[in-house]
Amino acid sequence: MRAVDVLVVGAGPAGCVAAWEAAAAGAGDVLLIERDRAIGAPVRCAEGVGSAGLREFLNPDGADWVSRRISRVILIAPDDTQVALAPGDVGYVLDRTRFEPVLAEEAARAGATIRISTEAVGIERADGAGGGRWRVRLRGPGGEETVGARVVIGADGVETMIGRWAGLETRVAARDMESCAQYVVGNIAFDPDAIYLHFGPTVAPGGYAWIFPKGVGVANVGLGVVTLRGDGRTVRQYLDDYIARHFPGGTVIGLTVGGVISGVTVKRTVADGVILAGDAAHMINPLSGGGIVNAMKAGRLAGRHAARAIREGDTSARNLQAYHDEWMRLLGDAHQKYYRLKETINKFDDAFLNGLARTANRIPDEKRSLGRVIGSALVHHPSLLPIAAQLFL
Amino acid sequence: MPQAVQHDIAVVDNDLCDSCGLCMPLCPPEAIHMTRRGLVVDATTCTGCEKCIAPCPVGALAMTDARR
Ligand SMILES: Cc1cc2nc3c(=O)[nH]c(=O)nc-3n(C[C@H](O)[C@H](O)[C@H](O)COP(=O)(O)OP(=O)(O)OC[C@H]3O[C@@H](n4cnc5c(N)ncnc54)[C@H](O)[C@@H]3O)c2cc1C
Ligand code: SF4
Ligand code: SF4
Repeated sequence: MRAVDVLVVGAGPAGCVAAWEAAAAGAGDVLLIERDRAIGAPVRCAEGVGSAGLREFLNPDGADWVSRRISRVILIAPDDTQVALAPGDVGYVLDRTRFEPVLAEEAARAGATIRISTEAVGIERADGAGGGRWRVRLRGPGGEETVGARVVIGADGVETMIGRWAGLETRVAARDMESCAQYVVGNIAFDPDAIYLHFGPTVAPGGYAWIFPKGVGVANVGLGVVTLRGDGRTVRQYLDDYIARHFPGGTVIGLTVGGVISGVTVKRTVADGVILAGDAAHMINPLSGGGIVNAMKAGRLAGRHAARAIREGDTSARNLQAYHDEWMRLLGDAHQKYYRLKETINKFDDAFLNGLARTANRIPDEKRSLGRVIGSALVHHPSLLPIAAQLFL
Repeated sequence: MPQAVQHDIAVVDNDLCDSCGLCMPLCPPEAIHMTRRGLVVDATTCTGCEKCIAPCPVGALAMTDARR
């Protein structure tokens, strides 16, 4: 039986960076497996990332994995009133079919081995035997094979089986699941340097609709809905209605669907010889639904702590707990704050949001930062004060 | 109604399903599994709670009796 030090399951942003970091930190033999036939595809994502977070990992300047540099954010109220925030270094819309392969190449360069079309189909404890804690059954083009591993990093996305098999609680309540559908739409008119976020319980209850440019005239247009708050339509029907209303002349070139877990980090992200990272551990910003940079940051911590635990000869849950604690300090605790804020925002109706947009537009264009929009909203809508208080709790 | 099953269970239409995995963590008894060949609902553990039905973005899940 083949034995590795670290087995990383899933080659999304979390898994690629985890393998990269584990190998770079000297974890020994690192194997990264991906069920799909290609790393980075299919894309289940709007591909937007903030500038600062991205730059911690790769330099986007002139990179071919960037679809579009973004310098503006435009918020849209339910009645279509647009609120353009003052321009700045907002971020990027990626081409994830190229982005994840670059992360995987970095992992390989650091010494990790990568296998595509290879699925983890089961794990069992192997305490002591062969130095590994787990025996993992893999199914790939060459048939089934069992691999021993000291540490298994579950970077296997919303559907995580590693979490289940390791006995970690990764189930999600319906109120914390945003069902998303997105089309790539061509032949439409919009500002190609801006991302648009469209709010309102009639547009996308519990979530929002987005327009993220892939190029001039081409964009990822999608929406996320908490169906518990919806009116019975499927999310794809919500999107079809949205496109018919806002982009009737657009050409739909692609459909993607997926789930964004808008809850908070799972209570336990580690077990004996197991670390969960990224969507598998619900490490998504519950307010924005952004998970790419979060997944990379979690992957980096996971790789580092796996290497440390192996070096120390102790891969028990107790020794891996430092990973969980570090994540909570880095972002996990903040997500709990964002979650409470989101719960409150979800109570706003269309009329309230429309009023908010009009107030915000009284701020001069160049001064209209998110901070000022919130500030002016507070002055004109005192009922928002309790929400502002939550930001600082 | 099949006699062997005491209650309705969820079934997946694999022509519609995009294997996005969204429904899996929503299932209380963890009856939904993903394989390289597509999504599978385990008929012996599905309790028929219907929590997976509405959230599917493309409407690929339905209860057994709702199919016809
Ligand atoms: C419609 C939509 C729009 C989004 N838009 C944005 C956005 O604009 N910005 C943003 O930051 N985030 C966005 N997100 C969230 C973002 O896509 C995720 O948070 C991010 O991809 C999480 O990365 P990950 O590595 O944890 O998981 P994933 O990217 O899901 O990767 C998990 C990988 O594991 C593989 N895998 C699963 N099980 C196994 C197994 N048993 N064996 C082998 N491989 C396995 C899967 O095939 C997959 O490749 C969006 C999500 C959706 C659904
Ligand atoms: S939510 Fe729907 S499309 Fe996604 S895996 Fe489940 S059945 Fe398939
Ligand atoms: S009906 Fe309930 S138990 Fe059955 S698959 Fe759906 S969520 Fe799981």
